[in-house]
Amino acid sequence: MLFKKAIVLILFGALATSLSCISDVDFNQADELLLAPVIESSIIHTEQAASHFLENGNELVVVRDSIGNIEIFEDEFVINNLIRAELFFEVTNSINRSFSLQLNFLDENEEVQHTLTFDADASPNGNDIITNYEENFEDDSLNALKTTRIIAVEIRLNPSDDGSMLDENSMGRVLLQSKGVFYLEIGT
Amino acid sequence: MNRAKSFCVVFYFVLSSAFSQNKQLLFGFTDIPQSILLNPSTTLANNGFIGIPLLSKNHFSFGASGVSAYDIFINDGVDFNTKLRNAVFNLDRNDFFTLNQQTDIFSGGFAFGSGIEKDSYLSFGMYVETDAIAYYPEDYAILALEGNANKTGRVFDLSDLNASGEMISVFHFGIGKKINEQLNIGSRIKLYSSVFNFNSTDNSGSFITREGENNLLEHSFNLDLSLQTSGFSDLNNNANSNSSEAIKALRKRLLFGGNMGLGLDFGFTYNPSAQLTVEGSVLDIGFIRHSKGLQNYALRGSYTYEGFNPLFSEVDGGQTPEAYWNEIADEFEELFNIDATASKYTTWRPIKLNLAARYKFGKRQSEKCNCLADDEGYVNAVGGQLFAINRPRAPQLALTAFYYRRLFKGLRAKVTYTIDSFSYTNVGLGVSAYLGPANFYLLADNIIEYQNIAKARSISIQFGLNLVLGRAQKQ
Repeated sequence: MLFKKAIVLILFGALATSLSCISDVDFNQADELLLAPVIESSIIHTEQAASHFLENGNELVVVRDSIGNIEIFEDEFVINNLIRAELFFEVTNSINRSFSLQLNFLDENEEVQHTLTFDADASPNGNDIITNYEENFEDDSLNALKTTRIIAVEIRLNPSDDGSMLDENSMGRVLLQSKGVFYLEIGT
Repeated sequence: MNRAKSFCVVFYFVLSSAFSQNKQLLFGFTDIPQSILLNPSTTLANNGFIGIPLLSKNHFSFGASGVSAYDIFINDGVDFNTKLRNAVFNLDRNDFFTLNQQTDIFSGGFAFGSGIEKDSYLSFGMYVETDAIAYYPEDYAILALEGNANKTGRVFDLSDLNASGEMISVFHFGIGKKINEQLNIGSRIKLYSSVFNFNSTDNSGSFITREGENNLLEHSFNLDLSLQTSGFSDLNNNANSNSSEAIKALRKRLLFGGNMGLGLDFGFTYNPSAQLTVEGSVLDIGFIRHSKGLQNYALRGSYTYEGFNPLFSEVDGGQTPEAYWNEIADEFEELFNIDATASKYTTWRPIKLNLAARYKFGKRQSEKCNCLADDEGYVNAVGGQLFAINRPRAPQLALTAFYYRRLFKGLRAKVTYTIDSFSYTNVGLGVSAYLGPANFYLLADNIIEYQNIAKARSISIQFGLNLVLGRAQKQ
């Protein structure tokens, strides 16, 4: 009887332990773990009425200002894991003048590290004219982007083809909207 | 390499000694004294038992609904991240990972009562239990894996973060009593001492990226997240100064110097006929009040961001550009500012429900007289069991069919087939053996998966050693 019991227990133990094994798995693969989220974020937007390009009845050639204290690129996580960025701009213009838009990316010493420029078409009849522009940041331009502490924005009023000037009765506005798409790769 | 190896070893250990919260093999296996912990109305067929300290009951458990280590770590040449994504995208927010461990420090029991037939059974003991559950935080995982790009309008539900865990020691004392020939009832009182606890089960809020009013996109944050902990803060302090102090503090809490709580178990066993039994129990109706070593965190606030206006003119809002810019920065800082508090809180133990019906049949024929060996009772039993446990999001259920067999004198076996959240193919096998007064038992769950443990979503072995006095042969 004791012998039979022992046999059953041994068989059971064998079933429970000896047969058990881990096969066909490689836990070292965990070292290959790579997360690749793509983050989409609003960046800048502004709307300027035609009248904003006037001062004392005279045309202002350029409207400019800057955003300082940009801290996002001081973050180690962003510096180490951001592998590419795309900035998208959309300008909606209903002023009968074309504009040149310029963004300067300045580092902590207020030195320009990167510049992007594009033109927005004029709207001869007051309808919204949409101009899109995108810029891809990789390698050198990405490194420049990562040093950014200040972004300076300029909206420059281009001379009209027919010599006409804006005045207080000029209609329309120029609308700038943008977003950034940031590609991250987070490894182990 | 070493890290991966040690991970593998730990994983193997956890899986090979795992036991899920559902103790379908032990429930109703009355040859094993510890079955009385699952139903206080159980009258064990003995005069008394003493659990061998630290060895009378040991189980560890790990379970993952919807995914196994094999799914992710199979060595098939496919890119690891592809397998991870495939596995992860098969999960949803109601999938979960559980961990449970229980070790008896001591246990014992004895029959008592007036008259020749002792009609009551008293049992007591102390055990340490660790229990944790984490739901798969689906939307957080999608954000981490894919980000929010091209997901305009998608609501990331922040209530997907739902996890809790605790280590407690439990001192318990229970009585079962025979009311009449058909009915036994019993109850057990439990004194809990929490060693540590963490609880983040009451989260809500959302993160949405959608088309903006003033910009291409706007991002709406609505956060209401909280984490309550007890027992970690002073442990950290102790660990920093002196590790033996920390061990002392732990020992003290195990011996009822922690956050205290109270619980009750109830059970019944009903025998409408000699062959039919219906039994049920409700376990751990109880709470723990956390008032010591508290560290609570909360993240609350809402903000909608649609970028900033670099050509901000003072006329627009009467603000300087700098004030405007600082306001945005402050909004973000405030949004992600974590409030730390130390307010008291109460946690409820996960209530467990067990129900079983069993039918006994087949008597062994005596070789001597060609008649039924009446004194040995029935040899077989079949039946069904239902297990339910109350979990933060919804109760989890398991349904079991079983066959019980008395193999030889003192050797009993039970085979179970269980359907639960982890799998539809859980076959378990348990044996209880008596060698003189010594009772040894070994219960293993999910044995089909033993050929490759990595494939198992949950698996278990439970074992124990008792000294049993005055065992009746009939039961």
